[in-house]
Amino acid sequence: MSGYYWLASYPKSGNTWMRLALWALRHGKPVDFAEFAGWATVSGLRAVFDEVLGVESSDLNAAEIETLRPRVFETLSSEAPEPMLRKVHEPWILTPAGEPLFPPAVTLGAVYIVRDPRDVAVALSHHQGASLDRAIAFMSSPPHERGSVWRQMDYHWVSWHRHVESWLDAPGIRVLPVRYEDMVADMPAVLAEVAEFLGWDAEPEAVAAAVEATAFERLRIEEEKQGFGEKPLHMERFFRRGEAGGWRAVLSGEQAARIQHDHGAVMLRLGYL
Amino acid sequence: MTTVHTLCGLKVVSDLPMPDLLPWTGDDRAPDVAIRLGEVPDRLDAPVIDGPLLQVGADGTCRFAVSGVAAYLVEGGHTVTVRTEMDAAAPDVRVFLLGTVFGILCAQRGLLPLHASCVAIGGRAVAFSGVSGAGKSTLAAAFHRQGYPVLADDVTVVDVEAPGGPLVLPSFPRIKLWGDVMNAFALPRKGLERSRAELDKYHVPLDGRFQAEPLPLAAIYRLEEARLPSQEGAERLNPATAVQSLEVDIYRCRTMRRLLSPARLFHLLTQIAAAAPSYRLWRRMGLGDLDAQVAALAARQGSDAGGRA
Repeated sequence: MSGYYWLASYPKSGNTWMRLALWALRHGKPVDFAEFAGWATVSGLRAVFDEVLGVESSDLNAAEIETLRPRVFETLSSEAPEPMLRKVHEPWILTPAGEPLFPPAVTLGAVYIVRDPRDVAVALSHHQGASLDRAIAFMSSPPHERGSVWRQMDYHWVSWHRHVESWLDAPGIRVLPVRYEDMVADMPAVLAEVAEFLGWDAEPEAVAAAVEATAFERLRIEEEKQGFGEKPLHMERFFRRGEAGGWRAVLSGEQAARIQHDHGAVMLRLGYL
Repeated sequence: MTTVHTLCGLKVVSDLPMPDLLPWTGDDRAPDVAIRLGEVPDRLDAPVIDGPLLQVGADGTCRFAVSGVAAYLVEGGHTVTVRTEMDAAAPDVRVFLLGTVFGILCAQRGLLPLHASCVAIGGRAVAFSGVSGAGKSTLAAAFHRQGYPVLADDVTVVDVEAPGGPLVLPSFPRIKLWGDVMNAFALPRKGLERSRAELDKYHVPLDGRFQAEPLPLAAIYRLEEARLPSQEGAERLNPATAVQSLEVDIYRCRTMRRLLSPARLFHLLTQIAAAAPSYRLWRRMGLGDLDAQVAALAARQGSDAGGRA
């Protein structure tokens, strides 16, 4: 019997960077994207759901899938010899049956990475190949239909601020909030804190080496050499800028004001205003 | 009303309407499989697998249920009892009957179900395996569109120990396709049933080009997504890797390991790997490239025009 650590965030908030740093820390060597692929993978893979339950998720409707997903996590937890780390971009929600999608009983903890929504909007527009205005609108009023991702179960989208609140205020689980801006400012301190939260032994030298191995320039060079499998096809590169506050040079005053209007309370809570 | 059909060469009698299956045209022997409407216990006694949807008993009996649709009891490779929670004629009831339940039934009979679609190229069976969403059905539909007969959509049943080597037993002449694929192939939805009431997914009949006779297994391609142009292409697996890859390709692998035993499974997979090459096929996702992929695969199998119906 084991359980899950969720590495949760809204998309484009530094989740992949954190996963790469944790991979480097766990493995004690420079990152190899080929080896990294599939490590601490997304929680909603269709293949895993299908295999565990013995049914084709593509033959089930969205409510049936969501209702069954807690059973998948419970089954895998009962079989896992050690804690599992999984990436999550979904909000912390209740299923149609009224129970948490990510069951507290098999949740060891959640690391929630949050990033200034103005920077998220810029990154999201690149990721989706959409205009800034469309990305900003998506973060405020996501489409009602669920986004289908072929290898993954359909996403249940909510607004950026609902996403943040859903995880930070999730009842009955331990949550470690991590700000992207703090990762940029002092990754060794943040990585050490996350490692401790996950119950990993991490000497300062090992943390420093992992941070060094996943410095932005390193990742960028690695991507140029062998490509990064999680990059959307239309994007030129996945590791684009890796900075905090870049929105100031990109968003118009009106666009920044719109984001602040839509998400102000949560931005204030996280020190972004 | 009882209907009589064929499935993998078996004579199947059914209380349920089975429009997906071909009618039985063989002799008047006793049925191999009976599908009955009836009572299904709420759970099995002392199951060796006790999953949320599927239970497996020590004797290999399986109980599978989807809430709101139906519960199925599968016994001895010859009897399926169905308790429906909706109109027994609804396609929803058949989706699971011809999916998980079909796979279990085959395994109980000692046949090996692979999670793969299968087409005939040059008079031999070529299977396309891969995880859910990898494009197995779409690729099979693309072959069908270009005139190649199809043997199976999602579950490819192999009689591994057939005289003369592994043989693919044709399942039934329909394919499940999503609405976007049907649009891309300009296939009309009119008159077709949805596989589930709420899903934009349809049961498309394989008009005329169903391969109804068994064919020897020629090759297995595991579909992988190429994210970079440099990754595209087919990579032949050595026999040891092929056995590992095939194990992942077994339909409902967790269940089949119990029904067929790990040692027996390993034996079957080794036989397949010895008889037919396995490849990883790294390909671009999306619908734009399919005709070129079909042409390239047909050429690879060494019998382009000869493979057509």
